[in-house]
Amino acid sequence: MLSPKATPYFLHCCLLTALPLLAARAEPVDFSKEILPLLSDNCFGCHGPDASNRKAGLQLDKQAQAIVKLKSGNHAIVPGESGASSILERLQSTDSDELMPPPDSGKTVSPEEIARIKRWIDEGAEWGGHWAFEAPKQPVVPKTPSSWNQANQIDAFIHESLHSAQLTPEREADKETLIRRVTLDLTGLPPTVEEIDAFLADDSGQAYEHVVDRLLRSKKYGEHMARHWLDAARYADTHGLHLDNERTIWPYRDWVIDAFNNNQPFDEFTVEQLAGDLLPEPSLEQRVATGFNRCNVTTSEGGSIDEEYYVRYAVDRVETTSTVWMGLTSGCAACHDHKFDPISQKEFYQLFSYFYSLTEKAMDGNVNLPPPSIKVPTATQAAEKSALDQELKDVRNKVTAIYKSIDYKDARAGETLGELASKDTVWFDDALPKGAKRDGNEGIDSWKSVNHAGRKAFVRTASESLSQHFFTGAKEPLEISQGDKLYTYVFLDPNNRPKTIQLQFNDGSWEHRAYWGADRGHGNGRNNASNLKMGRVPKTGEWIRLEVAADAIGLKPGAKVNGLAFTQFGGTAYWDKAGIVTIAPLPEDQLASFALWQQYRAKTKVPTLPKEIQKILDTKHDERKDGQTSKLTEYYLKHINPKTKPAFDDTLKREGKLKSSLETLNKAIPATLVMEERKEPRQAHILERGEYTLKRDKVESRVPEWIAPPVEGAPKNRLGLAQWLVAPNHPLTARVTVNRYWQQLFGTGLVKTAGDFGVQGEHPSHPELLDWLALEFIESGWNVKGFFKMLAMSSTYRQSSRVTPEKLEIDPENRLLARGPRFRLDAEIIRDQALAVSGLLVEKTGGSSVKPYQPAGLWKPVAFGGSNTQAFVQDKGDKLYRRSMYTFWKRTSPPPAMTTFDAPDRETCQVSRARTNTPLQALVLMNDVQFIEAARKFAERVMKEGGQTADERIAFAYRAILSRRPTDNERATVRSLLQEHLKDFKAHPEEAKKFLAAGESPRDEQLEVTEHAAWSMITHLVFNLSETVTKG
Amino acid sequence: MNPLREAQLVETRRHFFGRAAGGIGTAALASLLNPNLFGATAPSTEELGAQDLERYKKFAPKAKRVIYLFMSGAPSQLDMWDYKPQLEPWFDKDLPDSVRNGQRITTMTSGQTRFPIAPSTFKFNRHGKNGTWVSELLPHTAKIVDDIALLKSVNTEAINHDPAITYIQTGSQLPGRPSAGAWVSYGLGSMNANLPAFVVLHSTVNGGFGGQALYARLWGAGFLSTKHQGVSLRSNGDPVLYLSNPDGMSESMRRRMLDELAKLNHQRYQDVGDPEIQARIAQYEMAYRMQTSVPELTDISGEPDSVLESYGSDVKTPGTFAANCLLARRLAERGVRFTQVFIRQWDQHGNLPNDIRRQCGIIDQPCAALVNDLKQRGMLDDTLVIWGGEFGRTVYCQGKLTQDTYGRDHHPRCYTKWMAGGGIKPGISYGETDDFSYNVTKDPLHIHDLNATILHCLGVDHERLTYRHQGRDFRLTDVHGHVVDKILA
Repeated sequence: MLSPKATPYFLHCCLLTALPLLAARAEPVDFSKEILPLLSDNCFGCHGPDASNRKAGLQLDKQAQAIVKLKSGNHAIVPGESGASSILERLQSTDSDELMPPPDSGKTVSPEEIARIKRWIDEGAEWGGHWAFEAPKQPVVPKTPSSWNQANQIDAFIHESLHSAQLTPEREADKETLIRRVTLDLTGLPPTVEEIDAFLADDSGQAYEHVVDRLLRSKKYGEHMARHWLDAARYADTHGLHLDNERTIWPYRDWVIDAFNNNQPFDEFTVEQLAGDLLPEPSLEQRVATGFNRCNVTTSEGGSIDEEYYVRYAVDRVETTSTVWMGLTSGCAACHDHKFDPISQKEFYQLFSYFYSLTEKAMDGNVNLPPPSIKVPTATQAAEKSALDQELKDVRNKVTAIYKSIDYKDARAGETLGELASKDTVWFDDALPKGAKRDGNEGIDSWKSVNHAGRKAFVRTASESLSQHFFTGAKEPLEISQGDKLYTYVFLDPNNRPKTIQLQFNDGSWEHRAYWGADRGHGNGRNNASNLKMGRVPKTGEWIRLEVAADAIGLKPGAKVNGLAFTQFGGTAYWDKAGIVTIAPLPEDQLASFALWQQYRAKTKVPTLPKEIQKILDTKHDERKDGQTSKLTEYYLKHINPKTKPAFDDTLKREGKLKSSLETLNKAIPATLVMEERKEPRQAHILERGEYTLKRDKVESRVPEWIAPPVEGAPKNRLGLAQWLVAPNHPLTARVTVNRYWQQLFGTGLVKTAGDFGVQGEHPSHPELLDWLALEFIESGWNVKGFFKMLAMSSTYRQSSRVTPEKLEIDPENRLLARGPRFRLDAEIIRDQALAVSGLLVEKTGGSSVKPYQPAGLWKPVAFGGSNTQAFVQDKGDKLYRRSMYTFWKRTSPPPAMTTFDAPDRETCQVSRARTNTPLQALVLMNDVQFIEAARKFAERVMKEGGQTADERIAFAYRAILSRRPTDNERATVRSLLQEHLKDFKAHPEEAKKFLAAGESPRDEQLEVTEHAAWSMITHLVFNLSETVTKG
Repeated sequence: MNPLREAQLVETRRHFFGRAAGGIGTAALASLLNPNLFGATAPSTEELGAQDLERYKKFAPKAKRVIYLFMSGAPSQLDMWDYKPQLEPWFDKDLPDSVRNGQRITTMTSGQTRFPIAPSTFKFNRHGKNGTWVSELLPHTAKIVDDIALLKSVNTEAINHDPAITYIQTGSQLPGRPSAGAWVSYGLGSMNANLPAFVVLHSTVNGGFGGQALYARLWGAGFLSTKHQGVSLRSNGDPVLYLSNPDGMSESMRRRMLDELAKLNHQRYQDVGDPEIQARIAQYEMAYRMQTSVPELTDISGEPDSVLESYGSDVKTPGTFAANCLLARRLAERGVRFTQVFIRQWDQHGNLPNDIRRQCGIIDQPCAALVNDLKQRGMLDDTLVIWGGEFGRTVYCQGKLTQDTYGRDHHPRCYTKWMAGGGIKPGISYGETDDFSYNVTKDPLHIHDLNATILHCLGVDHERLTYRHQGRDFRLTDVHGHVVDKILA
């Protein structure tokens, strides 16, 4: 019903090439479209809004300034009198000193452009504003006398320009093409065969509309839309700078998905992301939304200066916010007044001020959740938590009750504790502790056991350089308490005395050394816990006990020693047993005295005591505060006193269990980065040249009023800024947003420079349509789904995308839309599509990011040694098959299969992607295990669901991924290739097995190997078709 | 080349240019013959923001290609190049305030109560015709001083690694701009149809990686087309990502699959007329050719022993700096425009004497061998070799100073790099620093100047090689940079 009437081509090249500006010249010159870009591009660098770099006092961005008498006595422009306007002389001068723009600028103005300027001056040199800074005006929807099918007003605008370009739209694409196009565009996934069949079977006039509505209801819609938004939000899973450690902000990502799926109006979507925290009593979701401006890259590089980074973060937020909502390249104004757009440096820092007063720290600390962050429990988690909290409260009450029921009196209160016995525990003798892994200069052979001077010992004769035998990994480590001493025995050969001997202990680190003799370089001259000087080399010819205090070599109470290294420089040494000297435990009768226990603990500190209790113990009796003594008593009776303790045991155990359940739960509750305003605002200044050290005038938060007036009654904070952005009279926000949506479906925006609506940006291809869409969007209550539906319903969108040589020549980029959109799919869609048709896709929405296949050895060569994203550990199972938007994004080494297909690095805001065509992309599709595995699984489906004959199966494969049946030619080609592959694999079944081993998903072993392999080659071929990676 | 493979390549060409039944269309033919599909010869107009094609090529190029040996972490100029014998009596004395003059320093040492001077413990000797002072750490490089230009006054503003290395590589301390190699790829394209224009090599240190981080942005394309980003040539796994056919797929099967793929794509092209399909057919052919050309490139078994020996024994261990230097030469021979070899672990805040000895032991011989190797092949004249890091190191000690050991903090105000070959005057020393190697006293050379000069050697006017992004014409040197004529040959 929507097919346009065929119109014959009667196009003449000469007419068409002249099309853009030179058509009929009856209309006066349009300043905004035809003059301002010229002046901006060629003159504003020295004669524009930036006062500090202005030359010769000439300012061309404002009429009042451009027509004044210059110092030279000339007038650059005299309205109506091109002959008196010196600008024309300068533009055409043959004297290279006079010529403008100066030859060394590399800029030139063509004769046609000069003629245009002349005509404009003669027409009165009317200045106007830049189109994008003027509020959109409701255009008259054109009534082109055309019999072309128009589904909605979009088509009226498009057809009008086609008509004047003497182009004819294409007829509506066939249903199969259409359902694939719209399904990919609205969900990022291809339609299933069932969905295609249902659409083909639906003869009603609303068949297509029903498909669109169904897609807009799908949860996949939100994921797909969110992915585009996350490019703009520079969302990623690592901090981005220096260590590039992991950060958790994926609950924000999930918030975006939900916002699209719930069709949150774009104005609310805006306000919550920019200022959700400042709304009255913000909900958890509204605070999560503010993650938008916590997605920026941050650092914690040692040596960095805080002040510099506070400035950088705020600058990034201004730039991102300006680009995303206003299409303004405000960044230029960080250093000087904008050269092209009227945004001044002062205005930049007024915007900057909105983002300069957050509670975040300049250094992210390389932690997962640099504050401020909030916990984001699911409903189940919240319920579970409150149940546990209640139970814990009950148990604690019970403990209190037991405590109250005890009547304790210390019978030995006045006594003094006698000398404490010490206890010598041998850690190992002859045989090493369990689990010890032996090693040394000669590996395991470094350990030579002999009998010497009455003992069994390990002997070692060393060269002059470092020589050692050691072990690590003892399963029962020595746990260090206060006052412990470590010892070992050594016998030094009197005829071959070592220069240095050293003991070194491992508690996870080897930085605990004690040496006797010369310092041989371990510590580079340091004499501290990592390299403690003990004195001279001990006496030779007899067994010596080497003893070192644990705390002197940095082994704190609680440390667990699992390894020991015997080191010597030169000489021969016999090494024997090692052990620890600790203080013996207090006998039970004394332990039953509160007073004696306190005295005991004063001498022997143990790491196991709670800090609070230790602190009380450390405080002298008469200096203890109210409640401290009773707290200590309570602790003593509950945990220490052998007589009272049993009454508490069960209840305390229960308390411990509850606490650990709560802890586990709390750990499982995700958190996310959010925005939060400082109580005391940080004063913003104009920064000369953008240098954080060059503070100039103070500025306050304020919107650039020349764009739109501030919203009455709006607060002077981010909330006010957000409200201003979505005020109906704001000229940019709606235009910029609808343009990005348009770009998403049509490949290019109506304004091609989607990130720049300023004077240097491209003029819209259809200015009236852009305004109409923007106003329609606002009018609809910023209804995003409604907007996408409108685009998808237009007959412009539904045209066939076939490319005729004529149209290709006239309009290679398809800006006029005389044909439907056709372009390469985004990286994520290419992978998701393969997962979907192969049946591997795991359709779960949201959650923490996943690490699917990635070639080995990509992170190590670039990551900082101490980074927690240095080693890539691939996930298993379902996590290999999630949609690509959930792939863990390490900014300094992003997933290569994504970036190869032009996914941005996510370090900075990006509102449009490149679309390249490179051999590296071919290699991904040819060889990435993800695609080989998908081909194997897709082949299983083809064999099981595709029918019995080869032809049926080929048709199924085509329909599953291309939504259409193969042509006879295609079928014949594929069939003969299948036969060849079958022959190959039959001759080499072992190769077939190898080919089928790609990926971690199980193979259906029912399928015959060679046949399965041959079909996998066919599905592999289909994945590589140009059509597969193209939306057509 | 594997003889089977060679035969297949010939067959491929025949298939496309001769035999192809039904013909593949002149457009495809043209694109197949165009050797520049990888990274266009010049900015292609379809790239949003690409600027006038020829106006930046202002000078006759001296260099056709660049090999950039990047010492990540910042090597100490004081211990390698910038000889300061007068510092000896200053041992453990404080750096005079008049020298530091309130300049900002990193927060790693800004809290130190003292800034004790640590003279280098290394001996320097005169080398070459001009008697250039070179540290004992660099016995091999000392032998090529007559071939290199020593730049002692390089300076930057950044004081920490991430911003500093981003700055020297992209012209901005903040992420988002294209890297130098990407600019060169964009401006000059590739000279080899089968290899990328910009290749990156990562070097191991003692068999592992570690040290200051590197970032994809350092060889990224920023806002330029992603096809200009550096391609890492890896020593483990596939040298180029996804290069090898999957297990079980023979070369002949791959060839047959690609032939049928081209046929099907071509049929589709005839139906829908989209020229992108033609381009994609060509990309697949190039991918196939890369599958051969890359292994051939990394196979050094044909190199004569004398050459291998000159690079040192590490050369046979893939991934070492020595192996990467040799690969860099092989890439240069094959027309790769810009090869950047990274080696890390120069960030010596403590234990500098030991660590720098290790690092110099790794790089010294291969650096010299590379320059000599290029020279012997007559390639040094049109290959620009650059050596150095992102900033320098302080004369004052970080941490405890002893007679034997010391550490040095980051120092942006002066440091040393060297350049050699294509367009650079050999055997000179440029720029001077004060007695403390703290401030430049003559001929400062900012990193923008360095980048401007690199582009100049390639025949490119750094002020004119621009790309319009978000309304502004961006360039590698931002709004700065002057070509340093005095170091040009």
